[in-house]
Amino acid sequence: MNAKTMAGIRGSLILAAALLIAIVLSLMIGQIRLSAADLWTGLLTGKGPGALTLRVLRGPGVVTAIGAGAALGASGAIFQILLRNPLAAPDVMGFTSGAGLAIVCGVLAGTSLPMPLLSAAGGLAAACLVAILAIKRDGSQVPITLILVGLGIGFLTAAANSFVVTRLPPEQAAEAQRWLTGSLAARDWGHAGQVFGCGTVLAVILVIQVRALSLLELGDDLATGLGLKSNRARLQLAGTGVLLAATGVAVAGPVPFIALMAGPLGMRITGAKQPGGRILSAAVAGAIITVLADLAARSIVPGLQLPAGVMTGIFGAPYLLWLLSREMDAGDI
Amino acid sequence: MRAMAVAVLALVLAAVLTLTVGVREGGFSLVWQALSAFDPNDPAHIAIQSVRMPRLIAGLIAGAALGMAGTIMQAITRNPLADPGILGINAGAAFAVVIGSLIAGRADNGLMAALAFPGAAAAAVAVFALGGGLKGDAGPVRLTLAGVALSAMLLSFVSAIILARNEALEVFRFWVTGSLAQAGMRPLGYMAIAAVFGACLAIAIAPRIEALSLGSALARGLGTKPGRIQLGALVAVTALTGAAVGVAGPVAFLGLLVPRLARRAGGHVLRRELIASAILGAAILLFADTIGRIVIPPTEIRVGTMTALIGAPMFIWMARRLRAGASA
Amino acid sequence: MMLENDNALKAEGLTIGYGERTVIDNLSLDFPAGRMTAILGPNGCGKSTLLRALARLITPGKGKVTLGSDNIFSMDTRALARRLAILPQASKAPEGITVADLVRRGRTPWRGLFSAWSEADAAAVARALKEVGLTDMSERPIDQLSGGQRQRAWVALVLAQDTPCLLLDEPTTWLDLTHQIEVLSLIRERNRAQGVTVVTVLHDLNLAARFYDTLVLLGPNGMVAAGAPQDVLTEDNLMIGFGLSAMVVPDPITGTPMVVPR
Repeated sequence: MNAKTMAGIRGSLILAAALLIAIVLSLMIGQIRLSAADLWTGLLTGKGPGALTLRVLRGPGVVTAIGAGAALGASGAIFQILLRNPLAAPDVMGFTSGAGLAIVCGVLAGTSLPMPLLSAAGGLAAACLVAILAIKRDGSQVPITLILVGLGIGFLTAAANSFVVTRLPPEQAAEAQRWLTGSLAARDWGHAGQVFGCGTVLAVILVIQVRALSLLELGDDLATGLGLKSNRARLQLAGTGVLLAATGVAVAGPVPFIALMAGPLGMRITGAKQPGGRILSAAVAGAIITVLADLAARSIVPGLQLPAGVMTGIFGAPYLLWLLSREMDAGDI
Repeated sequence: MRAMAVAVLALVLAAVLTLTVGVREGGFSLVWQALSAFDPNDPAHIAIQSVRMPRLIAGLIAGAALGMAGTIMQAITRNPLADPGILGINAGAAFAVVIGSLIAGRADNGLMAALAFPGAAAAAVAVFALGGGLKGDAGPVRLTLAGVALSAMLLSFVSAIILARNEALEVFRFWVTGSLAQAGMRPLGYMAIAAVFGACLAIAIAPRIEALSLGSALARGLGTKPGRIQLGALVAVTALTGAAVGVAGPVAFLGLLVPRLARRAGGHVLRRELIASAILGAAILLFADTIGRIVIPPTEIRVGTMTALIGAPMFIWMARRLRAGASA
Repeated sequence: MMLENDNALKAEGLTIGYGERTVIDNLSLDFPAGRMTAILGPNGCGKSTLLRALARLITPGKGKVTLGSDNIFSMDTRALARRLAILPQASKAPEGITVADLVRRGRTPWRGLFSAWSEADAAAVARALKEVGLTDMSERPIDQLSGGQRQRAWVALVLAQDTPCLLLDEPTTWLDLTHQIEVLSLIRERNRAQGVTVVTVLHDLNLAARFYDTLVLLGPNGMVAAGAPQDVLTEDNLMIGFGLSAMVVPDPITGTPMVVPR
């Protein structure tokens, strides 16, 4: 076994351990502090404070956070690989806020459609708009134009969101604002089931598509020469990416910057170079970030439950700035 | 010159609409009476003097200030996407206001206004430093993304505070979008002074900014000091944006819309462009405000939402047009 | 009244480096008033660096540059800009700007903070436009002009600056031969008509010999030669400066030296 593979395995173990630690910490810390022993007893016997926490208080939220983070992280990695640009994430390009807007509007209009469906519709609509507006008539696409147009769509949905929020009565306004910031408070097993159910289906589809992604990485001409219908493959991959992001948004709201950060973070730790490995490590990294952001948001100010999106916003923005300065120095933008 | 005349006409029309639209009966003649022969016993007259007039004045200050600020920023950064909202300067002012009133435990107008200026200045310096503006040519993409990131971070803080305190949400959720409602409660006089100061400074240094927009080497060859021009522009933008945030909250996208139109009226002479931006900025803001009031009665769409709904498509259109080389 | 000698540019003991690397080492040179001097040399020999130092765009580590009797590094910025103009390489025009508006910006050093546009400003702009032959196109946007016209508009900007000393950094790069000759001709006309001191960084040796009074040849290890074209463009100097084996023959039209690489 060569050194590179060893490093990869070590990185994967580190990532897995980090996720485990994040989960345990997240289960232990809260208004009532638990010890690891309490949790262990609760897990084994199904009795005591540990069991209650696992089953009702924190368990569902943490599991939902893992699912939502993984979905968002994987989605980010897909777009980053597809557009070959670390800035190309569904949250930067307005897909997640489109999904969020659709859900808020749907709920306010009183529809009985399930959240993931609304979310998917909104995300796909935003993605289509971005594609239509940014891709030139001859089919060529400039990643930077896609990103900027996506930002514009994000501005538009943000305006619509704030309009909706100002129209609501105070109680609902606070609730909607929380949700639009991205929050994992008060999630139940229904949410967890939802995100893992949809996520699993999409993951299976992604496994089938991943080979096309590794061909597309070689450039369109070569990929076509190798027998791939590049445009169709790209469209399918983008579709899966949007739906993954929408799955995350449906249970956690449009939490900003997770999709942006997860890919590069996962890749740095595991050293994965192949699309499959990058997406997997991005999913795990996304889960870690989300679990920790939720933990920080609910414990940083005692007695106050902030939405997780506030934390990812505060820490994700400096990352974006750092990324910018690095990309600039490398002359990529 | 004809375009300038059109702009002035548009402003007059916008001002008249702001005063008259939605006045229940009497319309224009009632407004005219309230202004020319004010009767302190007539409630309709009082309403016009105490509600409509402040709204008009606030719109004039904020619109003119944001229009000019956008024009200066676009000239100095050579970035057609520059706008106080997009580059995070509004967010800086909003952040300072929200944090300051949280610490002080009060949210009166004097305090909010006094905090808006340092907040705007700090954000402007930060976004230029982060966007590479201090080193020389900052590409539009880099500066824009730096602004977006800065806004996202500052607004995350703001929403953390707002969500933590429900009473704060009530005050700020309206203010944060940008609105001309309740303008009578805002410190219009002081903000007008700040805006006029910023406008004079901008007009004074306009020829220097023109030189700088040819590139820093040529600008120095023309006998200007780039650092000093940038500082002057920064002070002007801060005064203008701070004043606008003080009277209307962080209204975004006006600074993006206006310069392009102002160029039609003012050609490529920055002083004329600045004057045209002031006129057009005020006109557009007042129009947007009036439309927001009447489009789905009885609800009022905040003017900040209106400008965003117009401005975001404009942003997309301009992003598409960015020359390949200009994206560097 | 300005004396003729006030327009002479002089470098004394210039030493300029970027970080560790010394680009120009203890260089002294005269750029006589009313003459046209071309700075030649291979890429990376410090031609542009020298020109930028002459225009005070960079500060040398050692040495000084004088314009007449004044050290340019201690002069007031605006006062210097009224006596010395520089056209940097490959300048980028603001989007959509017209020729006239671009050229007007050359009047910046002559305008006070609140002073209005004066007769003298208008006259200088009109004259500059006429000299470069763009009077009829003055209201056209720059983006719509051909490459040669665009470069002439930039030259007009520094001509409108109306200085007795004019520095240009590769004003003919990217132009085809016709336009190169056009640009150099109009610079020479200004020089002959008003006795303007001209210093230009150029790539084309033969054009330099044709249009310029004095040539300065820089090599990888400092200055190789300076003087009249026939004294500078010799086979030996070309070998030292460019590492180029070439024959020098008289130009059949002007009689100036012409370099023919072997």
